Amino acid sequence: MVFEPKILGFLCNWCSYAGADLAGVSRIQYPTNVRVIRVMCSGRVDPVFIAEAFMNGIDGVLVLGCHLGDCHYISGNYEAELKMKMLSKTLSMINFSDRVRLDWVSASEGNRFAQIVSDFTEHIRKLGPSPVKNKKVKKEIIDNLNAVKFALCDSRLRSLVARQRELTTDGNVYGEIIPTKEFEEILNNAIENEITRHKILEKIKNEGKSVPDIAKEINVEPHKVLQHIVTLRARGLVDVDQINEEIPTFISIKEV
Amino acid sequence: MEKIGSVLVIGGGIAGIQASMDLADSGFKVYLAESSMSIGGVMSQLDKTFPTNDCSICILAPKLVAAGRHENITLLINTNLEKIEGNPGNFTVGLKQNSLLLDQEKCTGCGVCAQECPVEAIDSFNEGLSNRAAISVKFPQAVPLVFSIDQDLCIGCGFCKGVCKAKAIDYTLEDKFTTLNVGAIILAVGFDEYDPGIVQQYGYGKYLNVVTSIEFERILSASGPHSGLILRPSDGIIPKKIAFLQCVGSRDKKHGAEYCSSICCMYTAKEAVIAKEHMEIIEPTIFSMDVRAVGKDFDKYIERAQDEYGIRYIRSRISDIKEILETKDLILHFENEEGKVVSEVFNLVVLAVGALPNRSTKELAKKLNIELNGYDFCKTKPFSPVETSRKGIYVCGMISEPKDIPETVVEASAAAGAVNIFYLMSEIL
Repeated sequence: MVFEPKILGFLCNWCSYAGADLAGVSRIQYPTNVRVIRVMCSGRVDPVFIAEAFMNGIDGVLVLGCHLGDCHYISGNYEAELKMKMLSKTLSMINFSDRVRLDWVSASEGNRFAQIVSDFTEHIRKLGPSPVKNKKVKKEIIDNLNAVKFALCDSRLRSLVARQRELTTDGNVYGEIIPTKEFEEILNNAIENEITRHKILEKIKNEGKSVPDIAKEINVEPHKVLQHIVTLRARGLVDVDQINEEIPTFISIKEV
Repeated sequence: MEKIGSVLVIGGGIAGIQASMDLADSGFKVYLAESSMSIGGVMSQLDKTFPTNDCSICILAPKLVAAGRHENITLLINTNLEKIEGNPGNFTVGLKQNSLLLDQEKCTGCGVCAQECPVEAIDSFNEGLSNRAAISVKFPQAVPLVFSIDQDLCIGCGFCKGVCKAKAIDYTLEDKFTTLNVGAIILAVGFDEYDPGIVQQYGYGKYLNVVTSIEFERILSASGPHSGLILRPSDGIIPKKIAFLQCVGSRDKKHGAEYCSSICCMYTAKEAVIAKEHMEIIEPTIFSMDVRAVGKDFDKYIERAQDEYGIRYIRSRISDIKEILETKDLILHFENEEGKVVSEVFNLVVLAVGALPNRSTKELAKKLNIELNGYDFCKTKPFSPVETSRKGIYVCGMISEPKDIPETVVEASAAAGAVNIFYLMSEIL
């Protein structure tokens, strides 16, 4: 059987959706793999939506908005750009292959819309079906995607991304502009920590595990796992399950 | 000459607090200047105190609160001495308060700002064993209970201001300079722990399972990073065999100070006893040159540690530590009683670091024009242990030499007494 990828498209109301409409009324031919969801702005597309889409077995996600500078809400697509950048960083941390694309299509670019859809469909076709569909690795992938989803829900990461543009272009409360590189370092660090923490939480959701066991399962050095456990305990998300001789086990205590 | 009836106490540890309380109770107006964000000092970091094994913060916190609420005491946090002029009986001192970036009077200490702060930093109160936000409080029982923004870490996102119901946060607040007139000054800046990272042989900083005594103190503490569970840093397992190494940085002319820090023998015995009390399976071993338990009944404490708790004392100075790569356990070589060099594997090594003069003592002495001794401790005389070389300026606690908490408290009261005498003798009040 030929693999027909299932692709989800988030199209902004003002440009891309109209562009898709134009492609339709102009009878331009393009693959039928994209299921379109209309959103008011590409900036509305929460990375959590995309993580959830992948967990439900979608093979690829396409986010289309107005060209930079043309946003109906002035800066929505700039926000979308930062959000997608952060998302691809988080996905690359769990080795989830490149299955998201952000691009710009204006209302008059029916051809461009068709072209992007064709290219992306071809790209996904080459990558093959989403690993979520692979029964052998499914549990691992779902656990990781879950960790990504909760990390993306985390207020810390959201705060950083929400303020990124302001802090790196307009200046912070002290009137200083933080260099993009410096900010990205802080953000990457935060992403890595939060993902690791949520990976840990996924592993100890149902049963208590010791630090060395968790470290082996998620392939992180044990002393770093311990530091994350300390933080998670301080947040009230993890507690000691039991102590067998000299080995204490930790368990997740709250539904996040 | 007009004499001023107020006193400045520099340093808000147990010494400074006790001296302030005694002076304030005898009717003096006291300004207590502390360089960090809360009074309490090193004692607030300790789990237990020897020789009574009292919970340190439990006996300290009421004192902190009492000092904070005393009508005659004004607390000046995040404050350092800038300059001093005038003569004994009438000093003019310039103080600088580094900006907290929030209004101390308005902050209620609710902590919502710290929950919302997206920046994560290392918590130095927990000796780097846990994290805190860029806006934080030093420790839960801090007095005054106000948060402050770490300007080095803050990215200026503005979230804390948004969530602060008390409207305390003001990013434009600048450093505050105040000038005070005081009659006398008590110095109680305390000590610094020796940093064993500068000596290769212990592998501190390189091996995860080599910690200092103050870090171990936090590991033991119920309010510490592991909530009282004794876990070793490398893998979160309870270390069954713990080696305590005495005289790290003390009685060591080559790498540290040549004097004896006087407290390490006792606090090590205490840490070993508390570790054993926490978890029966732990077997502590203490390596020492000799045991110097100086103080009333202190020797009994050591005997109890040996006989009742079964703590093993080995008379040896460990010259090097090697890590086993796979398990992160540590191999110690030492000479046993038969004179044979043997090696033994331990799960955790605790370095009993000595006490060095506080790094601010030297600068302070220069500003105040007082003499220091050869080690940079403050120079005092045997029969006037709280008087400095300058009239009107007194010391108490570890600034003059290493000493334990009971002695420090005695000295603090003595310093307060000396200030009383100074005023009575100069017939001003």
